[in-house]
Amino acid sequence: MSLLQEERKIILGNEYVDNFDFAEVEDFVKNASKDLFISYNFKTKNKMLVQPRGGFPTYKKQFALNKFFVEANVDVLPLTIDSNTRLNDYATAKKMLRLSEENEIDMLNGYPLVNHGYRTTRKMITHFNKPVSLRHGTPDARLLIETAIASGIFEIEGGPITYLLPYSKNFPLDKAFLYWKYVEKVCANYSKLNEPINRESFGPLTATLVPPAITIAIQLLEMLLSLEEGVKSFSVSFSQTGSMNQDIVMGAVIKKLAKHYANEINCDDTTINLVYHQWMGAFPTNKDFAEQLINMSTVIASMVGADKIITKTREEASGIPTKEANAKTVASTQYTLGILNGLPNIVDEEEEEILTLEVKAIMEAVFNDEADTLWRKVFNSIKNGTIDVPFSPHIINHNEMITIRDANKNIRIIKRGNVPISDRCFEYEKSKCDLTKDTTSIVNDIIHDIGIMQ
Amino acid sequence: MKVVTGVVGNDIHVVANRLIELSLHARGFEVFNLGVNTYLEEFFDAVVETDADILLISSLNGEAEGWSREIKILKSKYKNLDNLVMVIGGNLVVGTASPETIVPKYKNYGFDLVFHQVDLNTGLDTLEEFLKERNK
Repeated sequence: MSLLQEERKIILGNEYVDNFDFAEVEDFVKNASKDLFISYNFKTKNKMLVQPRGGFPTYKKQFALNKFFVEANVDVLPLTIDSNTRLNDYATAKKMLRLSEENEIDMLNGYPLVNHGYRTTRKMITHFNKPVSLRHGTPDARLLIETAIASGIFEIEGGPITYLLPYSKNFPLDKAFLYWKYVEKVCANYSKLNEPINRESFGPLTATLVPPAITIAIQLLEMLLSLEEGVKSFSVSFSQTGSMNQDIVMGAVIKKLAKHYANEINCDDTTINLVYHQWMGAFPTNKDFAEQLINMSTVIASMVGADKIITKTREEASGIPTKEANAKTVASTQYTLGILNGLPNIVDEEEEEILTLEVKAIMEAVFNDEADTLWRKVFNSIKNGTIDVPFSPHIINHNEMITIRDANKNIRIIKRGNVPISDRCFEYEKSKCDLTKDTTSIVNDIIHDIGIMQ
Repeated sequence: MKVVTGVVGNDIHVVANRLIELSLHARGFEVFNLGVNTYLEEFFDAVVETDADILLISSLNGEAEGWSREIKILKSKYKNLDNLVMVIGGNLVVGTASPETIVPKYKNYGFDLVFHQVDLNTGLDTLEEFLKERNK
């Protein structure tokens, strides 16, 4: 038996798993409907796929939510996992699920997939016969993704960097790399049986003034870590920056570079798609304004040429959205996409060149790290600040880079920290900003720049 | 002057914490930022370790009250903290309450300055004035 299979047996021997039948699950994946695979939908549907966010604790409520989504003409269903499961605390999730079932009050902020188990969840997923995307935030997702794939969920979001740096203060990053290596291997192995399992990275990160160069470098590194293990379908992603031009530039550069770096490691047979997140920062409390913002995001996603868009709702500012509000966004986004025709082709060569140089410099510094494997190189690069994510709560993050918006609301780097941005690029970034102000007014500007959509 | 700062309890709201660090730095303080999700013991240990003059605790999710109750007992276990200036700010209550009820409560817990939903720069201006008065 391979080491991986031994590890899987231990993971799936967990007391909260009801007898995992390896052979049956393999058989299920092999014969599963192609419609369940987002990788197949990307290939065959000639449109931007629309995916909302959402997860409820009970089977009943999750089923009702999915029904609403399907009636609103959804392309991809979400399954958002509760916070206890994300931290591998299945005992608490179990208790809260029971309370939710008995009292009709939601005691969890998502669907506790491990507790429901794959036999139950598979019924719901095969019933709707739509691709499902697993949304979580889990550093150790080994048991979760085994359960997900066995349930018929063939898109797995996350990664060792993008699910760690925005979400945790002190979960050990080196462990996260190893746990995600397991995830990649399992996804790669199942991909040989039918259509490929899609892996998606979480580009929004902290959604707080993250400069495009950092977002893209991290997207590319998670992509390479995934491709290294044999994943054949991968989605890179980012969220609306606040400047339409910057979004378009980012889209162009990330597409070009993803292909470039995949080819470098001889993975040109891998399909790479682009996912765009509607505005991930603070939303306006005025629900009508929220709808305008959502609509604008959809227009930008089209300009960017995204393959999938992940939606927000008009209730974003007030908490977990109702299924009605959630389905409403899906329907309106589909409508907007349907009437958006004759989009102009905008290319900003200077911005593209600067951004490409910045990303390549970061990637080169990571590759030049003296460690022997890619994950260790990336680990060291985060530790020494070559990769620095603004506003990450994690203790390993360097926190030396400072960003601000220019007059056109583009995110600009005004302090490099240890990130190897060349002098030329750095001068360009700074030249766009008014840096004659004192630090106190710059801090006030940053506060304003974070909340521009409110 | 040295300041130890961080967000108390199981609170992961990091944005203001980073801005507080930047602002303090801009005003010439030497800053030791413990970041989010910090327990009281960690704050006091850091004050001792760095020989800080000021402890600036922040909170956004409102949990601070539960933690602040224990400050006096805990502080009494440490030596030489009598001159430490204690400041707390952010959103200091779960739900809503007026500053008239919140400020005296927190002063009772042992804080010299209490800023409930006060603008960052106003708070830091007040801190600087407080320090000037005290060092006269």
